[in-house]
Amino acid sequence: MTTNTSVIGKPEIRKDAAFKATGKAQYTADLQPEHAAYAVLVRSPHHHADILSIDKTLALQQPGVIAVITAEDIPGLKTFGLIPDQPALAINVVRHIGEPVVLVVAADKASAQSAASKVVVEYKKLNAVLDPIEALIDPSPLVHPAGNLLAQFNVESGDLDSGFSKADIVFEETFTTQRVAPAYMEMETSLASYHPDGTISVWVSSQEPFIDRARIAAALNLEVEKVHVLSTVIGGAFGGKEDSSLAIITAIAAWITKGTVRMVNNRSESFVAHPKRHPVKIHLKIGAMNDGTIIALDGKVWLNTGAYASYGPAVGSLLTEMVAGPYNIPNVTIETKVIYTHTPYSGAMRGFGSPQAHFAIESAMDMLAERLNIDAVEIRRKNILQTGDTLPTRVHLNETALGLEPILQHASAAVARLRKVKAKPGKHSGVGLALAMQSMGLGNGIPDNSNHRLEWLPDGRVLIHLGVPDLGQGLVTVAEQITAEALGLPFEQVVSSPFNTHTVLNGGVVCASRMTYLVGNAMIAGAKHLIQELIDQAATLLNQPKDQITYACGRITLPDGNTLSASEFTSRAAEQGNPILVEASACFPYPEATTPQHLPIGLPHVKFLFGAQVARVEVDAELGIVEVTDLVAIHDPGKVINRLGAEGQIEGGVVMGIGYALYEDMSLKSNDQWINCFTEYLLPTSLDVPINLEVQMLEYPEGDGPYGAKGLAEICTVPTAPAITNAVYNAIGVRVKDLPITPEKLYQASQTHIGNHQDTTESKR
Amino acid sequence: MNKLTVHFTLNQQSIRLETLAARSLLDVLREDFALTGAKDSCGGDGECGACTILLDGEAVNACLVLISQVEGRHVLTIEGLTPDGSLHPIQNAYVQAGAIQCGYCTPGMVMATKALLDHTPQPDETQIREALAGNLCRCTGYTKIVQAVQFAATELHHDN
Repeated sequence: MTTNTSVIGKPEIRKDAAFKATGKAQYTADLQPEHAAYAVLVRSPHHHADILSIDKTLALQQPGVIAVITAEDIPGLKTFGLIPDQPALAINVVRHIGEPVVLVVAADKASAQSAASKVVVEYKKLNAVLDPIEALIDPSPLVHPAGNLLAQFNVESGDLDSGFSKADIVFEETFTTQRVAPAYMEMETSLASYHPDGTISVWVSSQEPFIDRARIAAALNLEVEKVHVLSTVIGGAFGGKEDSSLAIITAIAAWITKGTVRMVNNRSESFVAHPKRHPVKIHLKIGAMNDGTIIALDGKVWLNTGAYASYGPAVGSLLTEMVAGPYNIPNVTIETKVIYTHTPYSGAMRGFGSPQAHFAIESAMDMLAERLNIDAVEIRRKNILQTGDTLPTRVHLNETALGLEPILQHASAAVARLRKVKAKPGKHSGVGLALAMQSMGLGNGIPDNSNHRLEWLPDGRVLIHLGVPDLGQGLVTVAEQITAEALGLPFEQVVSSPFNTHTVLNGGVVCASRMTYLVGNAMIAGAKHLIQELIDQAATLLNQPKDQITYACGRITLPDGNTLSASEFTSRAAEQGNPILVEASACFPYPEATTPQHLPIGLPHVKFLFGAQVARVEVDAELGIVEVTDLVAIHDPGKVINRLGAEGQIEGGVVMGIGYALYEDMSLKSNDQWINCFTEYLLPTSLDVPINLEVQMLEYPEGDGPYGAKGLAEICTVPTAPAITNAVYNAIGVRVKDLPITPEKLYQASQTHIGNHQDTTESKR
Repeated sequence: MNKLTVHFTLNQQSIRLETLAARSLLDVLREDFALTGAKDSCGGDGECGACTILLDGEAVNACLVLISQVEGRHVLTIEGLTPDGSLHPIQNAYVQAGAIQCGYCTPGMVMATKALLDHTPQPDETQIREALAGNLCRCTGYTKIVQAVQFAATELHHDN
């Protein structure tokens, strides 16, 4: 490939950017077909209650009302989910505040809302359990009949007792994290249109449109081919648009009313009725030698998964895999319990258990370092994973871990640099470090593939029929750049089609930091097919031997040295009704010989991402306020495909991590109301972002990644919170073991500590 | 329900609108004029800035403006930023800086930027961050948005 055609690594401008900047981009809620009805949900006001009766009479008499729908009206399967425990509309019982109970369809939004207020649901309140530890104590109210322990994972390696008996120091700590919302700017929304031929089209803002299709088909008792799921522009997802039920409900409304129905959640509905990051309690017992070498780790984890399973068990399993962090610890036992409670359900969210695990282990690393009087960088250097090491899952690490040591070196330099910065008058400054690892892919035993098509258009451009939607992160741009590179075409010559399950192959779920790897490898494989098809066409048309025709950069070269543009053949192929169209597929490799098979489905993962973040904070101890002044994010995404996009992912991930550390907490604000709006649930604003947010990307190529690329989307939010809590400790000597670091917590804690830690910046380490 | 007639200027065009009184400007823009560039991300509570438009040159949340309040006033939406729909230097700066990911906050951000640069053509970084503090973004971490505003300020300054 000549360098002037190389598009890998370049900051190509995403093709939808101008469209979005001008307001022309149409998100699902912007689709407003004439005569579309509007549906709203009547939701549970109770944590836990029996539904004694539902009276639709008054609602049905309201002007504009088209239908009032309850669970019994659903023609097919009434529940959904990986573990299908979640009703689309409540059946006899509600298990969390905000659970959908009655679906009201009317001519317009105001009529629907007015009629919804006239639906009379009679409840009998039942005892609820909101705390996962209490939920395991008999007799606790049961969330589901089979018991409140939804799933349990155990990972063991080495000999824990022997490890602890040899340790010079053993200590135990407990960490807790809060429930947080993905808080994508575009709330859940869907538009469904019934067709008289017995098919239905459903526009969704979703990460898993093929799964939505299957669930809609099941709910409507239809063959999947009769359900078309489409995406327009998607306004962010971060995991929360996996397992989001609005598409199913909108489809039910359209199907029953034989019409077109729109639904758009408001923000409070988005908070209470769609997936969250799990609140977690993690207890760590660590045994180490005096030189800082950790030789034993006993971890116990409790996840509050809420009222429905969603992806809770999968989050629990991945969290289990991450409890030991990026460290080589010979004797490890981890036990994780995923527990039902009567709270809004938790599921997938960026990091998928890894942020919680790293908050615990990375806090504990600093605590151990202090006990042993070892530098925070040095104690990590002693313990970090190396190529060839074995994880607690018995996975042998390959070159995927090459970047970790250089990442730590860069982090060490950032720590040294930031420690020299003096605090503003009246503030205490501190510097903190955290490492992180994050798996890529769905894990062993789960089909982990992705399928697409590539088409060479008559005009010589290449069209990607991408089997997945772009969530906003820039996936389409990555696919186009890799395809352009593989074909030697300019970036502008590769375009993508809108997502529609009817016209694309199944690209799988957009999640698990897997898309650059999978889509990229699929595009490279597909490009090879395209070139071969082109050469075959040319050979046939020109009556030339195909093995003497070569392709480069959009042109073929004939045996006599003459070159012709690809479009000469692609246009002829299209005229003959036989366009050059190939399948492009890739899968994650879990070779049986090297992938441990003793764990439950989804475990283990075999490829990992690594990173580190260094935070400098200034703390106003009197007000309890933490300002993150500097944050250095060091990541190894493998070869960077698009520099602008990669930097943007990291910057966004860091700021999401700052929200996790300092502000966000979806807790109860009264006995029967969750925090559900942005005046109470504080997202970071432009004023809360570090003035110096520095991104460093170390590009250690993944051997079988597309042009060496790995992934990035999740890990960049994983180390942020522990880097900040470690920095706060460094500043004022207050160890926050319970996220977020609110001013109240910090103020109270600092009152007892501050006298002993006046200038901690230099002395602590 | 109360109806009223409102006269205002929308993207340089004179409008006479008969409508229910209890409607927000955001609903009117999106539903009656199909101007869907202004978004709702907080449920109409003025918490997110995604519906930012200019009302007599000031950045406001259209969800918090009742339609009766626009009588005799000038409303500028993202769709009216340039007469022919081409990229305004502010929009171009957002595109070039990589300040757009999912793009849902972008129209509101761009309009808030327009108000800032109209009043303060060469803002410092703190002024930029303060001017955008009412506009939430979950994707970008704001870093490239702040850079975009700086690019736009430079570009507009050169144009003048």
